[in-house]
Amino acid sequence: MSESMTADALPEETTDASASDVVVETRNLSKVYRDFWGRQKVNALKALDLEVKQGEIFGLLGPNGSGKSTTIKLLLGLLFPTSGQALVFNKDASDVSKNERIGYLPEESYLYKFLSATETLDFYGRLFDMPADVRRDRVNELISMVGLDWAKRRQLKEYSKGMTRRIGLAQALINDPELILLDEPTTGLDPIGTREMKDLIITLREQGKTVLMCSHLLADVQDVCDRIAILHQGELKELGRVDSLLKVQDVTQMQAQGLSKEAEEKIRAIVAEDGGELLSLENPTTTLEELFLSIVTDSEARPGRRAQGDN
Amino acid sequence: MTLEQAIPNFADWVFEAIRFLPIFMIVFAAAGFMIGYLVSAVRRGPVEGFYAVATVIGSAVVDIANTSVRRTLAMAMLAVQESIRRKVLVAFAVFIVVLLFAGWYLDVKSDNPGRLYLSFVLTSSNYLVLILALFLSTFSLPADIKNRTIYTIVTKPVRGTEIVLGRIIGFMAVGTAILVAMCLISYLFVVRGLSHEHRVDGEIQVTSTELSPDGSLQGSTTYDSHHRHTITMFDDETGETDVVMGHHHAVELAADGYQIGPPEGALAARVVRRGSLRFKDRSGKPGTGVNVGHEWAYRSYIEGGTLAAAVWTFDGMTADRYADGFNLELNLRVFRTHKGNIEKGILGSITIRNPDTGARIRSSEPISFAATEFSIDRQFIPRQLKAIDSDGTVSDVDLFEDLTDDGKLEVWIQCSERGQYYGMAEPDVYVLENDGNFAINFIKGFVGIWLQMLMVTTFGVGFSTFLSGPVGMLATLSTIVVGLFRQFIVDLVSGSMEGGGPIESLIRVLTQANVSIDLDIGRFPTLVVKFLDARFLDVLNVITMSLPDYAGFSTTEFVATGFNIEPSLLAMQVLRALTYFVFVTLIGYFFLKTREVAA
Repeated sequence: MSESMTADALPEETTDASASDVVVETRNLSKVYRDFWGRQKVNALKALDLEVKQGEIFGLLGPNGSGKSTTIKLLLGLLFPTSGQALVFNKDASDVSKNERIGYLPEESYLYKFLSATETLDFYGRLFDMPADVRRDRVNELISMVGLDWAKRRQLKEYSKGMTRRIGLAQALINDPELILLDEPTTGLDPIGTREMKDLIITLREQGKTVLMCSHLLADVQDVCDRIAILHQGELKELGRVDSLLKVQDVTQMQAQGLSKEAEEKIRAIVAEDGGELLSLENPTTTLEELFLSIVTDSEARPGRRAQGDN
Repeated sequence: MTLEQAIPNFADWVFEAIRFLPIFMIVFAAAGFMIGYLVSAVRRGPVEGFYAVATVIGSAVVDIANTSVRRTLAMAMLAVQESIRRKVLVAFAVFIVVLLFAGWYLDVKSDNPGRLYLSFVLTSSNYLVLILALFLSTFSLPADIKNRTIYTIVTKPVRGTEIVLGRIIGFMAVGTAILVAMCLISYLFVVRGLSHEHRVDGEIQVTSTELSPDGSLQGSTTYDSHHRHTITMFDDETGETDVVMGHHHAVELAADGYQIGPPEGALAARVVRRGSLRFKDRSGKPGTGVNVGHEWAYRSYIEGGTLAAAVWTFDGMTADRYADGFNLELNLRVFRTHKGNIEKGILGSITIRNPDTGARIRSSEPISFAATEFSIDRQFIPRQLKAIDSDGTVSDVDLFEDLTDDGKLEVWIQCSERGQYYGMAEPDVYVLENDGNFAINFIKGFVGIWLQMLMVTTFGVGFSTFLSGPVGMLATLSTIVVGLFRQFIVDLVSGSMEGGGPIESLIRVLTQANVSIDLDIGRFPTLVVKFLDARFLDVLNVITMSLPDYAGFSTTEFVATGFNIEPSLLAMQVLRALTYFVFVTLIGYFFLKTREVAA
C-alpha cells in the first residue's frame, strides 16, 4: 500500500520501470548476415539487450551500418535472429498476431505506387480485417491528419517524397497501434515536415502509445526521445535518459535577472575563491551531436567496449 | 480422334484417388518434415532445429485457422491492380491481332475447316493464357520483396497463406476475365469463319436409277468457299447435301425455288457411350490382337478372313434409351498386306451378340460394311434385326428383347478380306448417344485451359515464394515441359524406351553403339552404369509423377474433333487441379514462412 503511494508520488521516470510495462524486449539478440555458402559476412548485431517500456519514446541511434535497422527488422520478424530473442508484447517477433498492435513506418515508404492515397489506406485497413464502414472513417481521418485531403485521389507515383512519407505514416497508424516503430521518420522531410513529424510523435506519446524510432538525425532524437540507445558496429554503446545523458555534471549554469554589477562581482569573487573559473554566465547542456561524436570516436579507438558509464 | 489413354471410370478413379490420398499426404508431410528438419538442424543444431520445425508447424496450424477472407481478397485485389498496371491486357491485344491475321495463314481449302479453326483458336488461347499466367505469377512476389513493399504487408497481421492465396486468386481473376473474352471472340470467329451460303447450281433433276435406286432428284450446289456439294432430295420438298469439308446443308423447296440452309454438322459435340474391348484370336479363342510391327502398340490388329474378332461390350443398352436402334461409330485403322482395290474400303462385318451364353438367340446376322480409313464411319443398327436361332432358321428379332442381357450387348467386328487387317483400340468404336451442345462443349474446352492456367499460376506463385523472378519463371516453365513430356519420361522409366538412362545413352553416343545391341563395356561397369541410371530414373520418375500432366489436361482435341468432353473427365481434371492447388499453396506458405523477407 505504502509502496504504491510512493510510486504515485514519484515522478514518471520511476513508474516506467515496473517490469509488466515492457513492450519491447531483446535478450542477447544477435544477427550475423551470411552469404549463399553460409560464410559469415557481417556481424550486424552483437548480443543486444534492450527494454522499451510502455508510453516512452525510445530512440535507436547510430551511424549507417550500426545495426539500428537490423534491430527494428528483427523486432518485426522481417529477419530471424542468429541467436537470442526479440520479444514484442511478450510474444516472439515471428508471431504474426503481435502485428495487430503494431504500426511500422519503414525507412523509405515502401508503398504500391499504382494506388491512390485512399486506396492505399483502404488496402492496409483490409489487412487488419477492418469492416468497410470503420475503414472508411479511419481512412478519411488519417488523410486529414497528415494533411493530404487535396491529393487523396492521386496515385502515389505522382507524390513528392514528403507526401509519400506522410501517407506512409498514415498507414502505420491505420490500426491505432499501441507500439509504433519508425525507421528514420524524418528523412526526406523539409524543416516544416520534420517539425510536424516530431510534434506528431510527441502527440502519440501523449495518447499513451509507445514509440521506438531509429535515426541518425541527432537533433530530431534529442527533441523527442525520452531514452536512447546508441549503437555502433552492432554493439550497444550507450543507453539512458536523454536529459541525464546530456547533463554536464561539472558545469553549473545560472540564469538570473536584475542582478547588479556588485552582485555579479560578488559571484565572480565566490567562484574565484572556490578555485573555479567562470566560463560564462550561461550554463549550457551539451548537444547530442557532441555526445554522439565523442562516443563514435571513442568506440573506434577502443572497439568492443561500452563507452562511458551508465546514465 | 485418337484417345491415347482410355478415360477411367470416374467412380473407380475417385475411389482409387481417395484411397491413395492419405498415403500421399503422409508421405508429403513426412518428406516436408524431414527436409525442414535437415535444413534447420544444419543451421541450428539437432535440438534447436527440431524445436524450430515444431514451432513452424504449430504456427502454421494457427495461421491456416486464422486465414481471413477479407485479407485474402485484399491481397487478390492488389494482384489484380498490379496486373493491370503491368499492362496485362497486351496479351489480349496479341490474341486479337493473331486472330485478325489468322485468315492469312489458315488453310481455307482444308478438308475440315471446322477442326482447323477450332484447334487454332483453342491452341492460341491456351498458349497465350499460359504464358500470361507464367509471367504474372512468377514476377509479382519477388518484385514485392525486391522493392520492399512486402515490408508493409508482412508487418500487418497478414498470414503467409493469405499472401500466397491472394496472389493466386488475383491472377486467376485477371486470367479468367481474359479467357472469357477470348472464349467469346473465338466462338464468334469460328462460327463466322465457317458460315457460308450456296445456291443451287443449274437444275435439280431425276438422275439415272442406277445412281439413285429410288429415282430421287439430284443436283449440285454452286462452288462457294472452295467447295461444292451434291444435293439429294428425299422427297419433293426436303433434301440434304452430301458431307464436304466436314459439314452438310439442308435443302428445302420453297415458293421461290430450292433453298439451301446454313452449314450443319461442322461444329459437333458427340456424346458417346464407350464399351470395353477384348479380342478373339484367329482361331476364335480369347486372345490379344496382332501387332503389325511398325505401328505403335496402342492399337491391336485383327486378321481378315479368320475367326479373329474385336468384341466391345456395351452397358446400359436399353429400349427406352434407343427406341429405334442406335448409331455405332467406327474409327478403324486398316493395315493392308496387299494392295487390293485401293479405291474401295476393306470389307468387314458387325455382329450384335447377346453376352448371355444360355440365351435362345445368340447373335444377329452379320451386317457388312466397308471401313473407310482415317475418317469416322457411322453405322445405324436398327432395332429390328435378322437372326439365326439355334435351329438354324432365320427370324426377325428385337435388338433389346432378344440380344441384350440386362442392358449388356456385344458388338463383334471382324474383317472379311483375307490378308487384310483392321486395327483398333478401345475408344475407336462407340455408341453415339446424341449430338451434344457444341457451345457448351466449347466452354468445357476452355475450362480445361482454365485449369492449366490455375496450375501454372499456382506453381508460379509457389516458386516465387523462394526464387527470384526469372529463376521462378524457368522453374515453372520446367514443370510445364516435364508435364508435356511426361509420356516420354514414363516410357524411359518403365524401360519401354530403348537405349537406357543418361549414362548408358552417353556411352552409346560416344561409342556409336546402336540402341538395340547390348552395352559392351564389361560386366561390372555395365552393372554400375545400369544401377546409377536406374537411380537417376527413379528420381526423374518421382519428379514427373508429382508434377501435373499438362498434356492430359488439354481437352482441345475433343472440342476440335467434335467429341463431347465427358463430365467425368472434366471432374477428374478439376479434382487433380485442386489437389495441386492445395498442396503447392501449402508448400509456398511454408517457404514464405521460413524465409527472411528482408534478407
